[in-house]
Amino acid sequence: MRKHATIGLLLFLFAAVLPAQKTAVTMPLRFDAYHTLDQVYESLTALNQAFPNLTTLEVVGKSEEGRPLYVMTVNNPKTGPAADKPAIYADGNMHGNEIQGGEICLYLLDYLLGNFGKNPEVTRVLDKTCFYVVPVVNVDGRYHFFADANTSSSNRGLRIATDDDNDGLVDEDFPDDLDGDGNICLMRRRDPFGAYKTDPEDPRLMVRVKPGEKGEWTILGEEGIDNDGDGQINEDSEGYVDANRNWGFDWAPPYVQSGSGDYPFSGTAIKALGEWTVAKTNICIGWSFHNNGGMFLRGPSRKGLGEYPPQDITVYDYIGRESERVMPGYKYLISWKDLYTTYGDSVEWLAQIIGAYAYCAEVYQTETETHHDMTSKIEMGGEKTAGGQDISERERIKYNDNVVQGELYKPWKPFKHPAYGDIEIGGWVKMSERLGPPFTIKDLVHRNAMAVIFTAKHVPEVSLEVTEVKPIAKNLYRVRTRLANSKAMPTMSYLAQKTNLYPKDMLKVAGAKVVAGGVLNDPFIDLVAYKKYKPEIQFLFVPGFGKVEHEFLVEGRGPVTISYESRHAGKLTKTVTLE
Amino acid sequence: VNPNKTLRLILTVSVLFAAAPTWAAGADLTFDRYHRPEELAAALQDMARANPGIAKVHLLAKSPGGRDVALLEVGPETSKSTKTLPAVFVAADMDGVVPLSSEAALYLAKLVLEKADMRTDKTWYFLPCGNPDAASLYFAKPLRRDSRNAKPINDDKDDAVDEDGPEDLNGDGLITQMRVKDPEGEWIPIPGQPRLMKKADWTKGEKGIYKLYTEGLDNDGDGQYNEDGPGGANVGVNLPQMFKYFASDGGPWPGSEAESFALMKFFDAHREVGLMFVFGEASYCMAPPRGGRRGEADLNQIKIPERFATYFGADPNRNYTMAEVIEMVKPFVPPGVEVNESLIASFLGLGGAVNPMDDDLKFYKEFSDKYKEFLKTNKLDAKRLDPAPDKDGSVELWTYYHLGLPTFAMDFWTLPEPKEEKKADEVTPEKLEKMTNDEFIALGEDKINAFLKSSGAPDQFKAKQVIDMIKGGKLDTKKMAEMIKQMPKPPSAEGMDPKEKALIAWSDAELGGKGFLDWKPFKHPTLGDVEIGGTVPFTDNTPPAKVIEPLLKGQVPWAFELAKNMAHIKIADAKVKALGAGVYEVKVWVENTGTLPYPTAMGKRNQRVLPVILTLEGPGVQIVDGKKRSLVPSVAGHGTAAVTWLIRSEKPVKVEIKAETQIAWRDARTLDLGGVK
Repeated sequence: MRKHATIGLLLFLFAAVLPAQKTAVTMPLRFDAYHTLDQVYESLTALNQAFPNLTTLEVVGKSEEGRPLYVMTVNNPKTGPAADKPAIYADGNMHGNEIQGGEICLYLLDYLLGNFGKNPEVTRVLDKTCFYVVPVVNVDGRYHFFADANTSSSNRGLRIATDDDNDGLVDEDFPDDLDGDGNICLMRRRDPFGAYKTDPEDPRLMVRVKPGEKGEWTILGEEGIDNDGDGQINEDSEGYVDANRNWGFDWAPPYVQSGSGDYPFSGTAIKALGEWTVAKTNICIGWSFHNNGGMFLRGPSRKGLGEYPPQDITVYDYIGRESERVMPGYKYLISWKDLYTTYGDSVEWLAQIIGAYAYCAEVYQTETETHHDMTSKIEMGGEKTAGGQDISERERIKYNDNVVQGELYKPWKPFKHPAYGDIEIGGWVKMSERLGPPFTIKDLVHRNAMAVIFTAKHVPEVSLEVTEVKPIAKNLYRVRTRLANSKAMPTMSYLAQKTNLYPKDMLKVAGAKVVAGGVLNDPFIDLVAYKKYKPEIQFLFVPGFGKVEHEFLVEGRGPVTISYESRHAGKLTKTVTLE
Repeated sequence: VNPNKTLRLILTVSVLFAAAPTWAAGADLTFDRYHRPEELAAALQDMARANPGIAKVHLLAKSPGGRDVALLEVGPETSKSTKTLPAVFVAADMDGVVPLSSEAALYLAKLVLEKADMRTDKTWYFLPCGNPDAASLYFAKPLRRDSRNAKPINDDKDDAVDEDGPEDLNGDGLITQMRVKDPEGEWIPIPGQPRLMKKADWTKGEKGIYKLYTEGLDNDGDGQYNEDGPGGANVGVNLPQMFKYFASDGGPWPGSEAESFALMKFFDAHREVGLMFVFGEASYCMAPPRGGRRGEADLNQIKIPERFATYFGADPNRNYTMAEVIEMVKPFVPPGVEVNESLIASFLGLGGAVNPMDDDLKFYKEFSDKYKEFLKTNKLDAKRLDPAPDKDGSVELWTYYHLGLPTFAMDFWTLPEPKEEKKADEVTPEKLEKMTNDEFIALGEDKINAFLKSSGAPDQFKAKQVIDMIKGGKLDTKKMAEMIKQMPKPPSAEGMDPKEKALIAWSDAELGGKGFLDWKPFKHPTLGDVEIGGTVPFTDNTPPAKVIEPLLKGQVPWAFELAKNMAHIKIADAKVKALGAGVYEVKVWVENTGTLPYPTAMGKRNQRVLPVILTLEGPGVQIVDGKKRSLVPSVAGHGTAAVTWLIRSEKPVKVEIKAETQIAWRDARTLDLGGVK
């Protein structure tokens, strides 16, 4: 009875989340369900219409299937153009199935815009910085994740037809939704020689047989048939080109790392986005939202790239550890060392080619799906269930039953398979495992968005002071300046300085002849490192929570303009009069 | 240079070229002068027009300077977008500073159009000028050599872009060098050849006199000369294999340039390319591609990380060979999954290959030997300086390492080696190669030491050590000869760079001294009294126009020899055995009639080249055992591979066997089950 009721409920629920369903987007945005791609587009348009002065919506490229890739810029024009302010870049959903990234980006936009002029903290952040937000990078992936039958892990790649099994045919053997329920679940077959038996604690689960025990089940893999008749099932589905292995920095061919694509930036929208980020020279910090595991990762992505300069690590550690507190349970980690090696990913691109501080956030932890105290880890004991990874599947199925009324798990149901005969289909549904149930979305998107806003408060903020104008001879003046940075990030990352990535900040003196000028290393004993040529232009950077002082010997009279220009800290001008 | 002026000049020049009347028709093509990139592109258009149906032009990209990157396709399938025949791709002058290589590509295109038998069974793609912006500089005044395209780049990361390029101060139409006496100078004239300069060697009691600069002004007054001239990235080093990030002239990332990106895109879409030629300054024909690079992956010394070691029963502290690892992993892999180098390398994160595969060096060696004979026959085997080494990020590295294609870089001219009387008993790498280990050791330490010194071996490399290594089996004469051949030649006794020595000899003997200018005084606005002179750009790699044709005639047709040896997959034999009850065993042998393997060993590793796909079909035929599409991953040069099926057929029908490839043709055969006992 209970079983049938659950099936009935499940069918009802799935009918309700099929893509045909369209809910009108209302402002402020709601985060009690995941947005389909169309709803993301509608949300962006709605935000743009509601805040025409604060937002710019731009199509920066088109996907393989022709869908637009949107970037939304949030900037308060009253405090200056976006390009003159430090920028915070955030993207999401680079993997089609990792849809929370899109939600976090939408929430970030909604929160910033909705609170601007109301909440003084948010207002202050938006007065001083600008945001570039790309909610969905893999637009085709998000579209297909919602529209097609999937597991929570499938439909990750770009829609670049690729011959995964090297048989001369491309994308010819997808998994198949055999029972037509919108999910790709597992297939199992009764088999006395199988490696699994029914879990004595929950008849829906399976556990590995112990030596000497009789088997009951063989797991046949994901739902599907052998579409191309090559003796393999589901071996060549979409792509596979991974949008987060296809970027132009430290790219490696597919035999070194699968999914990188035939060449760097072979993904049309990825190339467009990469080139767009190059044009935005004010990006100080970059965030890329993925799922899952609860991690804030920084580079290097590969050991061979070498560790980042120690001064940069100080900045990374400061922000990383604060973000751990904003998002309890998440760990701040190093990508290659604590997760795995990647080539050609977006975070390394942001750090090395754009010169930003960059984090990859792996949001959502399956561990939170428990009856227990959320912060304590569940011990698995010796037994591992078939679908259990790092948490007891028994715990999760109780969560499924009691917290979300069976939404996450589909009980086994008989099916006649063309190759395997009598089998059963069942298990975790698409909207589970990597994705928390809808009631948890709000907490997740809020906290992650707050981590982004936290970093926005630590982009460089520089003040320019003329500390001295002193006549030292007829028509000759000593002018001293101080540039001070009140925030954690330097005006140029140490990595970018090391690779001589782009021109440093400039301090220019105009209006009179600069006879000599240089860095004032010690104002008390007048220790100046003079620049031999063109002293009227000084190249510099201002360290985090630090200062740099200059001294100029200026010949002439009247007004002199001192201007500071930085890619990451905007522009400043002071005028003094020599008299 | 005033940047605005430069820009205006570039624009004007581009407009002029664009408006120039189309150049002589394909048939009138002569090789008695070098052709501008615009003329090369126009020549391709003319060839296409003159050969409708078998030739057509693809415009791959526009360079930042507004020039077409034009590709000529020749073959029987020009009208088809999907090709069934394999193709040969010829890329030339990717570095934009080798005008002779463009002529060679054009020459080859002309030959292919003339020789019908060379284009009936394959497609040819000719890209005579992969870097047109840089290539145009050879035809510009003043003459300067620069591999970079016309993309504006702020080289010195100051407040201006392309603001300080070189100037032709003495008005001779050339950008050469300036030398100026300076207390901090590092250079001195070479005793005995005072036109050439060398770095002062303090250990020999020498003190520097001169500073050397490129001819020009300090336009932006920053104390540096010509540090930010026009120019962006060299297309020829903008490809992904061993790309150098943050280098001064390679572009910010591989494929950042329109020219190189278009090339990568083209190769992705044209998987029929099975043989690659890169015409430029490097050569894989004079000598096999070099190895010896230190990479992440040494396939003979693989460590198994601890977390996997326990699982596979391996010792994490030991080194394993690739073959050992493959055997170790095999039992843990589900049936049907092939354990190969590629799978292991990817699984253990070994990184990419940086050296040619040993099996590939076999054919490179063989063809290199044959090429030398070919040159001898054509009387072009006079001793000349070695071709330039292949560059990191180059097209030839990319097509070999990433695409797995047999790739042949070819150069067509270097300076003749100046004649030098060698003592008859002096050891040379050539002699060494033919010696046995014992013969070499018998020379004695003194002679060996003299040989090591003259070969430019590092100072710590002494005879005693070498003898020990030979005795210990770590080295042999062959290996040593190879190593020494790859070492840069040491400056000769008087400190002359061998290349400069050859250049000055060539200039004096053949060019009436016009290849190297005497130092002449000049009053420089900021440096004061300077002298201008030195090497004239392009003297070292661009011979006079009158020798273009003879050089090409005797070397370019080598491409045909290699094309004839492409991997060619055929069905060698097929046999049917009736097993009764309508069940038959069908065995098919596919062979590679070419000398080049299908695919290269690198192609096997990177798996970009598809397996040979064998299919069997017949009305009402049911496959009992075997696959509908059988994949044969590789067939060695002149090798064979077999595939067997068990089939069932009610009636004695005819079955069609097909062997398909993209780069090595395809074959089919019909078998009549009725004729079988």
